[in-house]
Amino acid sequence: MTKALNEEEKLLEFLYAAPVGLVEIDASGTIAMINPYAMKHLLPLAGARDTGNLFAMLESCAPELRNLFDGFAAEHGTVCDGHRITVDLRRDQDGAEPKVLACTLVKLDADRAIACLSDITVQVAQERRLRQAEAWFSSLINDINDYAVGSITADGVVDAVNESWIRQSGYPREALISKTLADIFPLSEGNSDGKMAEQLRLAARDGWHLEEMWQDRNDGTRYWCQRLIAARLGSDGELAGYTLVLRDITRQTYDTDDLRRLLTQDHLTGAVNRSKFQQIFEREHRAWREHGAPLSLIMLDIDHFKRVNDMYGHATGDLVLRGFAETIAKAIRPTDVLARLGGEEFAVLLPAKGLSEASEIAERLRCLVADMRVETPQGDLAITVSLGCATALPNSDLLRSADEALYTAKRNGRDRVYTMGLSVAA
Amino acid sequence: MATIIEATFETVGCAELQTMPADVRDQLPFGVVGLDAAGITKVYNETEARMAGLNPKKVIGTSFFDAVAQCMNNFMVAQRFEDEPELDVIIPFVLTLRMRPTPVRLRLLASSSRPLRFILIER
Repeated sequence: MTKALNEEEKLLEFLYAAPVGLVEIDASGTIAMINPYAMKHLLPLAGARDTGNLFAMLESCAPELRNLFDGFAAEHGTVCDGHRITVDLRRDQDGAEPKVLACTLVKLDADRAIACLSDITVQVAQERRLRQAEAWFSSLINDINDYAVGSITADGVVDAVNESWIRQSGYPREALISKTLADIFPLSEGNSDGKMAEQLRLAARDGWHLEEMWQDRNDGTRYWCQRLIAARLGSDGELAGYTLVLRDITRQTYDTDDLRRLLTQDHLTGAVNRSKFQQIFEREHRAWREHGAPLSLIMLDIDHFKRVNDMYGHATGDLVLRGFAETIAKAIRPTDVLARLGGEEFAVLLPAKGLSEASEIAERLRCLVADMRVETPQGDLAITVSLGCATALPNSDLLRSADEALYTAKRNGRDRVYTMGLSVAA
Repeated sequence: MATIIEATFETVGCAELQTMPADVRDQLPFGVVGLDAAGITKVYNETEARMAGLNPKKVIGTSFFDAVAQCMNNFMVAQRFEDEPELDVIIPFVLTLRMRPTPVRLRLLASSSRPLRFILIER
């Protein structure tokens, strides 16, 4: 008896300390067993949802998991292996990498499955870095004559540049030598002294740092420039200086259709998935910072969707989600981006649209959804949606503003649009 | 003695928990975990040991947020002790006692004048 107790205690110690998440569930996702590592990552995502159900806790970040599981017909087998769950849509205020989890789900029999969760944030960041490096080096090889090289001292002062630099920038050598990097790259947004120093620090820490930005030529024109700063170490291993490589890359016309074709979709609704939305949002937000063309965002949340699921089941809930996404997708421009961010939460990103236009679009979408009827085995269903609108502004967080607007629309009674920054809700 | 036994989940303070005899702490109806500034478990009462299925002697001296309560090793609990030297809050939480999802109330207690921080667990 004592021996058995001792064994159980050891088993518990092992599971409490395991640096990987393990969850056992039934066919509905109800949790039978879960270890602390899994709860550490799941509980912060659960919000007000059922903390006793794996799919409910992941609904806000990985609604597809339930569909993958329900769609897995075999009696047992691997439902997904290392499926990536994008937790954060952006870096936090401290600049920490956006969190990504990996989930492996194995079905054991008709009513039992086990999930394994791990935090792969660091690996994903490393992959991104490797992809950057690959793209950079392959572009060098393909286009070997077209790069400017300079030598920078450890203090950030230019001490040599090659001919290509002079040709590319149009500046004479004497305008470059002995200048600091902050002198040479002063003009485009974000190239302040602090930013440059930060980039040198990152290059010294990581070996290299890569940026892309607009760069001005001496004749007043500008070009889209890739800039690599590589740290140079002396024989003593101490930082001796930096090598700076500039590449003039003709920026292709923004082909949104191409972009859309490349997107990975949420497989239930055909909308862009959370992970791709993160990438597109980053890109569009960056374009907004550089070009200043407006960028607006609508957050949409289907009203009382939980009731649909509870009353009619998930299969009908899925039909509603499909019908909803289809209605929205038909009503927006091809250049707009419809994304499914969570269970019943969607976003529409509107490049080149200002706040009042976005607000009008949101109102139109609201009416379309209210008029829509979804055919289901239980009859035609009607739903409503709440929408929050915001536009990109300096010193404000667009995602957060749109979220807050959505929250206000909900609080004000649902089936309505709230626009952040417009005095009267549309 | 009577006054100590009356120490409740919602009212007991850092000082009281620290000076309380171990056997009294063990009889409290809620779990008591005391951590030093480095997160090493210094107090782990019988109530909590029973709920978790662990031997307190083996938990004492381990890094609590790594060995026993990884589920609290995020912004909801561990980070709050880092950020807030003066802390007294009650939060709803879900623990994984014996690997079962278990809704609980946690009370987080810290005071800059006291060496130990406390986590109280009420099922």
